[in-house]
Amino acid sequence: MAETLFYLLGALALAFAVGVVRARMPLFSVLSLLGSFFCLSGIYLLLGFPFLAATQLLVYAGAIMVLFLFVIMLLNLGDEAQLERHAGLSLSGRRLFVGGTAAALLGIVGLAAAQMNTTFVAGEVPQGRALDDLPTLAGLLFTRYMLPFEAASLLLLATMVGVIVLAKRQRGTSAVEAEAEAPALPAPPLSSGAPR
Amino acid sequence: MSPLLVTILKVLLIYGGVITLAAGMTLAERKVSAWIQWRIGPNRVGPFGTLQPLADGIKFIFKEELIPDGANKFLFRLAPVLAAAPAMMAIAVIPFAGEITLFGVHTTLSIADIPISALYVVAVSGLGVYGVILGGWSSNSKYSLLGGLRASAQMVSYELSLILAILSIVVLSGSLDLRAIVAAQAGGIQDWNLWRQPLAFGLFVIATFAETNRHPFDFAECEPELVGGFHTEYSSMKFALFFLGEYVAMIVMASMTATLFLGGPEVPFWHGAPWFVQLFAFLAKTSVFLFLFLWVRWTLPRFRFDQLMRLGWKVMLPLSLANVFLTGLVVSFF
Repeated sequence: MAETLFYLLGALALAFAVGVVRARMPLFSVLSLLGSFFCLSGIYLLLGFPFLAATQLLVYAGAIMVLFLFVIMLLNLGDEAQLERHAGLSLSGRRLFVGGTAAALLGIVGLAAAQMNTTFVAGEVPQGRALDDLPTLAGLLFTRYMLPFEAASLLLLATMVGVIVLAKRQRGTSAVEAEAEAPALPAPPLSSGAPR
Repeated sequence: MSPLLVTILKVLLIYGGVITLAAGMTLAERKVSAWIQWRIGPNRVGPFGTLQPLADGIKFIFKEELIPDGANKFLFRLAPVLAAAPAMMAIAVIPFAGEITLFGVHTTLSIADIPISALYVVAVSGLGVYGVILGGWSSNSKYSLLGGLRASAQMVSYELSLILAILSIVVLSGSLDLRAIVAAQAGGIQDWNLWRQPLAFGLFVIATFAETNRHPFDFAECEPELVGGFHTEYSSMKFALFFLGEYVAMIVMASMTATLFLGGPEVPFWHGAPWFVQLFAFLAKTSVFLFLFLWVRWTLPRFRFDQLMRLGWKVMLPLSLANVFLTGLVVSFF
């Protein structure tokens, strides 16, 4: 039963993943990715790790993919063919590029998986406790793996700060340009309580 | 009777009960609004209008179903399902009552008792945003698109405060299991999390209003500006599915409030009460919050969208973060 489910979910996840790169509309790519995440979450459940399954749904399906959908809808991206004139490469050229990158990534992941020692966490779980026991997982995350954990969060923080800085600078330059274009007018009051 | 059959029976009973409750809520909404506005409300169908939901359902089924030109037909059909399904899924872990013996099988009155049920409710109900956003986009109408975008921005923003409010309860109880959270409040009224976490309670209730797109945060619909918001173009049973999803989500959120802050099915001053008394206590606590949804809707005006965003990100989020931090401090040092 579990094995059948695993192969079913794995095949579905792969099919959805192919759908992500094959779909002509970006919106369907996002939805395919969502389906793929659902199948992955199911596989985590089969592995006896419900916490990871719920987190996968909460973080990826519930938050990140919504933001993806947002961007696609706000930019109103339609059929891929309509984007032709905006892109540097032709459609087939882009497909070749994407396919090549995907194949290279798959190769790297395969190599890493072949060399990986999969017992690296399980070896450190205290005797008689399972990794899906949340206090055990949290304990490991905040003691043994404190440094990688904090490094990852620091990286995310740096990204956020970087994005804000970039967005702010853009606004600043456009205000300067506006002033330069209309020097006769008095300078607009910047940051005078206007909603941001 | 085998345990599997008992589980199927529980599924049928609980979902039947919840959908009946949702239908009752549509009637309650019209009745309460009528009372607040000094009217009588629906009173033609059945005694005191009690069969009105049934009449509404039949009307929905017989209405013509329109799919607008230029709409994405696949997504247009998918969206109502995606709007209703997550709320239905979340019902599965709500602890309606404690232990119960059904046909000789000893079990608990909830469909599934999983060790991470609090996280499950949040994870699943967070998916409800897809129905709204896809319904808004696939209708190929500017009102729908604006409604869908606004609603999803709002749901994503307030989900953070919602999760953090739950997190402070989880820190206090030391478990993600709703049954364990209920057991931690078993001592009586003075043990309810409402007194230990008043700030989290306030934040949670406000966030549930935003999560279910109810007044004063109903930007998904916002009739004066957006006609009907994301479901402007929907008709017939597809519209009814959106409606059903909204009301079931309200029931989920109200029962979560009762579970997290009011001791769920625990009866005050009577620990170990029989299951029907517990079920009654649970429904009574839930109805308080269901009534609050209606009361607020017909009393308060709607926010402006920038006010909503400011409240979510600049008031609720810092407050809930501070609350989690303080709770952590108290739990570790006292």
